[in-house]
Amino acid sequence: MNLIPVALWGGVVGLDAASFPQVMVSRPLVAATVTGLLAGRPEDGLLLGVILEAFALLVLPVGAARYPEAGTAAVAATGAYLAAAPTGLDAALLLAATAFALAWERVGGLSVHVQRRLNERLVVGWSESRRRPDRELERRHLSAMTLDYLRGAVVAASGAWLGALALRWLAPRWDLDAVSPVGVLVVASAAVLGAVLQLFGGWGERRLAFLLGILCGFTLLLLR
Amino acid sequence: MRIHAPAVALSSRPSRLVRAQVFLRSFAIQGSWNYRTLIGTGFAFALLPLLRARYRGDPAMLRESVERHAALFNSHPYLAPVALGAVAQLESDGADPLLVDRFKAAVRGSLGSLGDRLVWAGLRPVCALFALAVAFAGAPWWVPVVLFLVTYNAGHLFLRTWSYRLGLKGGKEVGERLRRSFLGPAQRILTICGAFLTGLLLPLAVAGGALRGLGPLAERAMPFIWIVAAAAAALLGVRFGSAVRLPVFLALVAFAILGTLLRVFA
Repeated sequence: MNLIPVALWGGVVGLDAASFPQVMVSRPLVAATVTGLLAGRPEDGLLLGVILEAFALLVLPVGAARYPEAGTAAVAATGAYLAAAPTGLDAALLLAATAFALAWERVGGLSVHVQRRLNERLVVGWSESRRRPDRELERRHLSAMTLDYLRGAVVAASGAWLGALALRWLAPRWDLDAVSPVGVLVVASAAVLGAVLQLFGGWGERRLAFLLGILCGFTLLLLR
Repeated sequence: MRIHAPAVALSSRPSRLVRAQVFLRSFAIQGSWNYRTLIGTGFAFALLPLLRARYRGDPAMLRESVERHAALFNSHPYLAPVALGAVAQLESDGADPLLVDRFKAAVRGSLGSLGDRLVWAGLRPVCALFALAVAFAGAPWWVPVVLFLVTYNAGHLFLRTWSYRLGLKGGKEVGERLRRSFLGPAQRILTICGAFLTGLLLPLAVAGGALRGLGPLAERAMPFIWIVAAAAAALLGVRFGSAVRLPVFLALVAFAILGTLLRVFA
């Protein structure tokens, strides 16, 4: 897969996560599907995006906490998966790409931390500049946003490149049938989706709505 | 820092153009997020059109006001327009700078926690779960993505616009107006919807292969042992909450290594 569109899109995703404009194209569901679209395989992108979105739901960007960056990792993992599994679904590589995304989002989180430290240096002392204070503040603020775009582009493109290398190495060495990795992904997704209930007050507060949802879910399954 | 009294003629309300500029800039309020001033610099960046208009012809006052507003501030980004609107109004009314600073210090905690609960733990997961449910139901690839972006951003843009207007109208009384607003009930409704959607998604996820993208695998019945394991994992998730994320990630990595080692040692 061409890394240039991955980098350009990764920059947008990195910028959207916190700096501008937070319209949530940085969610794995969107970020991965659009990466798939760039490679002409949006359905494969969506598949990875749905799994990664379930994991990302548990991460809350609250206060000054350090948290994993799911968006750029989703772009990287989707790019890597599409490069390593050129045709159709490969369940083993899908699982490996998911594991890679969950690892790479920590790298993304670290890059956000470093960027914020850099911003600290950038914005301190702006008032001592000889330029007009308003223009100087504006310049430094926009510089920080440009750096954030570049950070997102580098994290996504380097992740896609490294991930593709790792997945290509893994592909011929995998020795389990297709059902097992899908089963593992289903178990993993069920665990994190169950955990999402905590966001809404948990079993103690919201069990009625939760149980009603389960009932409707089973009804949908029966109607399929 | 010395604080001068305003020395320029005051207008009671910022012009429409200035208000629009401040609002548009509020989308970039977190652009220079840092551990020292948090979104303080972004707050000053968003307020610059107003400060330029307010202190035109008085560079000393402009410098002082920009410095004041670039100091430590924090808020949820979607509710920051409440503070921006209120401060814009206070500055236009020629309020005492100390009063403006005290107002900012007073609202920053509540705007942060209120927004975190309403958006990060309410609107966003609810819209995402809704989109996931649509994806699990087998919709074409673009439907869940478009649905998520449209539903989420309808709420997002409404919240930003509403909060900016509230700030402009409420001035320093905005705290009381916020307390009486619809945000509390809305958050409660969102948590009920979220719990319902979580329940709805679990059987679809546990049954496995419901996603259209799984293609031929979706046609095969999931072995019973995996269904039992997935149901048990969902129960563990409900019981332990977000604490399950790391063990699940480690299990995925372990399984990927296992799959590779089996071939190496075969």
